[in-house]
Amino acid sequence: MIARFWRVRHVRIGLALVGALGLVAIAAPVLAPYRPDTVIDVIHARDLPPSLAHPLGTDPYSRDVLSRVLYGARVSLAIAAFSVAIAVTLGTAVGLTAGYAGGAVDAVLMRLVDAGLAIPRFFILLVVVALWPRLGIVALGGLIGLTGWFGMSRIVRQETESVRRREYVTAARAVGCGTPRTLLRHVLPNVAGPVIVAAALGMGNVILLETGLSYLGFGVQPPTPSWGNIIWDGHDVMLNAPWVATAAGVAVVLTVLAFSYLGEGLRRALEPSAT
Amino acid sequence: MSVLEVRDLSVTFTTPSGVARAVDEVAFSLDVGETLALVGESGSGKTMTALAVLGLVPPPGRVGPASQVRYQDRNLLAGSEAAWRAVRGAEIAIVFQEPTTSLNPVLTIGTQITETIHAHERVSKAAARARAAELLQRVGIADPTHRLDSYPHQLSGGMRQRAMIAMALACRPKVLIADEPTTALDVTVQAQILELLAALKAELGMAMLLITHNLGLAAGVADRVAVMYGGRIVESADTDALFHQPVHPYTAGLLRAAPRLEGPARPQTVIPGAVPPATAWPTGCRFHPRCAFAWEHCATDEPPPLIPTPGRTARCWLVEEPDRRRA
Repeated sequence: MIARFWRVRHVRIGLALVGALGLVAIAAPVLAPYRPDTVIDVIHARDLPPSLAHPLGTDPYSRDVLSRVLYGARVSLAIAAFSVAIAVTLGTAVGLTAGYAGGAVDAVLMRLVDAGLAIPRFFILLVVVALWPRLGIVALGGLIGLTGWFGMSRIVRQETESVRRREYVTAARAVGCGTPRTLLRHVLPNVAGPVIVAAALGMGNVILLETGLSYLGFGVQPPTPSWGNIIWDGHDVMLNAPWVATAAGVAVVLTVLAFSYLGEGLRRALEPSAT
Repeated sequence: MSVLEVRDLSVTFTTPSGVARAVDEVAFSLDVGETLALVGESGSGKTMTALAVLGLVPPPGRVGPASQVRYQDRNLLAGSEAAWRAVRGAEIAIVFQEPTTSLNPVLTIGTQITETIHAHERVSKAAARARAAELLQRVGIADPTHRLDSYPHQLSGGMRQRAMIAMALACRPKVLIADEPTTALDVTVQAQILELLAALKAELGMAMLLITHNLGLAAGVADRVAVMYGGRIVESADTDALFHQPVHPYTAGLLRAAPRLEGPARPQTVIPGAVPPATAWPTGCRFHPRCAFAWEHCATDEPPPLIPTPGRTARCWLVEEPDRRRA
């Protein structure tokens, strides 16, 4: 199974990039030359161009951009992982229930999901964040996760709907498996593929979403660095200190690309024709 | 003593084109140690009968209110889902037609066999695994301990079906339902699987409900045969009697249509027409539009199960008017 994934080039590239990002995020305190909120010299060291002392320069508040981007990776990736975990859990639970139960249960759950999908997610987030302006990182990740499982539940429901008609599900019930056991042991592993793909692609989306929110000032609150608010810090000084926004921007692009690669690779590996 | 008795079993499906009566007032009983073959064409309701016996009719199918599935004189249809789950796999087990799709592709053979054991008995993992290895050995799989860790795709079709049989027998059921157990297999493997089933049946003292479209197979294995057409059992009799003297014209037609190796070559005979859809069974006898003997009576009134000679039944008016058979 693992060998099959590894054979797809996209998976190798994606995993390498995601792995590198993860390592950087974990090792940020070791790699970063400064604390992310250390103000070096607010009079003389603002908007310094990249140099040996500050490889990515400094920002308008005289903080080391490299350190902020590295710590920002921690924050952005942690929020993304947390919210995707919530979305996967909720989406899988709802999708499995709807797809396996069918009938009225399915209809009610899926209409709720339709309703959830019909409301633009970004604006729900903006409204909530406007009402509770000082959200912590956990609350922010939770919020993104809670508004992000609708699509996932649809995918899981559709897969479940087809898997539950397979003979091995009938066979499992015929040997005396109860509903929970049938669902968790026989249905769930067989719908896991598309879920994994959607989760990988979802990571990229959430990173973009969080960047957008933080850029607008509704996401991660300064001085805690996130790629979004680093870009905001740099947008005023785009002309005389372009490195601030660029550094964080490149980080976002690379990360989203890495997860897209991984997702696409997993999708190809799971396609029946790929074997 | 009958171990399994089915009375008035009906399964209906509500479809956009009407109500499909897939199984209609089917009744049979299975004695301890007996083999009953349920024979019929595709769409005659054989498999749905088997699923209904296990309480596994897929939605939107409905089992009729008068239906009874009596296992050891207890009507399972009147019991709870939990009671039924305790019976499935432990008392009544099933081997499906297609071992490739009936085994879960992501679980090992060992996991799937021990799962059956764990579903019904409180035994340790090691004990269940040891028993699973014994079972694999018994169904003729070489190197059983090693094979426990194989995934279904690593086995051949015949081995998969052997593994399915091991799964079905894991809790020593009293009734084994074999739904076309050899249809998906190579011809050379078919005979081996049948022999294995017969041997295991004798060894464990099981009763077997063999579902097949293959009359030859039924003749070789079954004590009694029930022929299904249009969701109904149209004739049932001891195997010898049925093959030597079929009463229902449908049974006779099936026998004539079966290819033979002995005797002079002759053109293949077929039963004219096709099975009508289950949403629109003809009035009267369901077979009358395709029957060479049909007369007005057949088109207006459906024959009940009539008794031509003791021990057999046939849903055919010819039982009452045998002279018409010569005409």
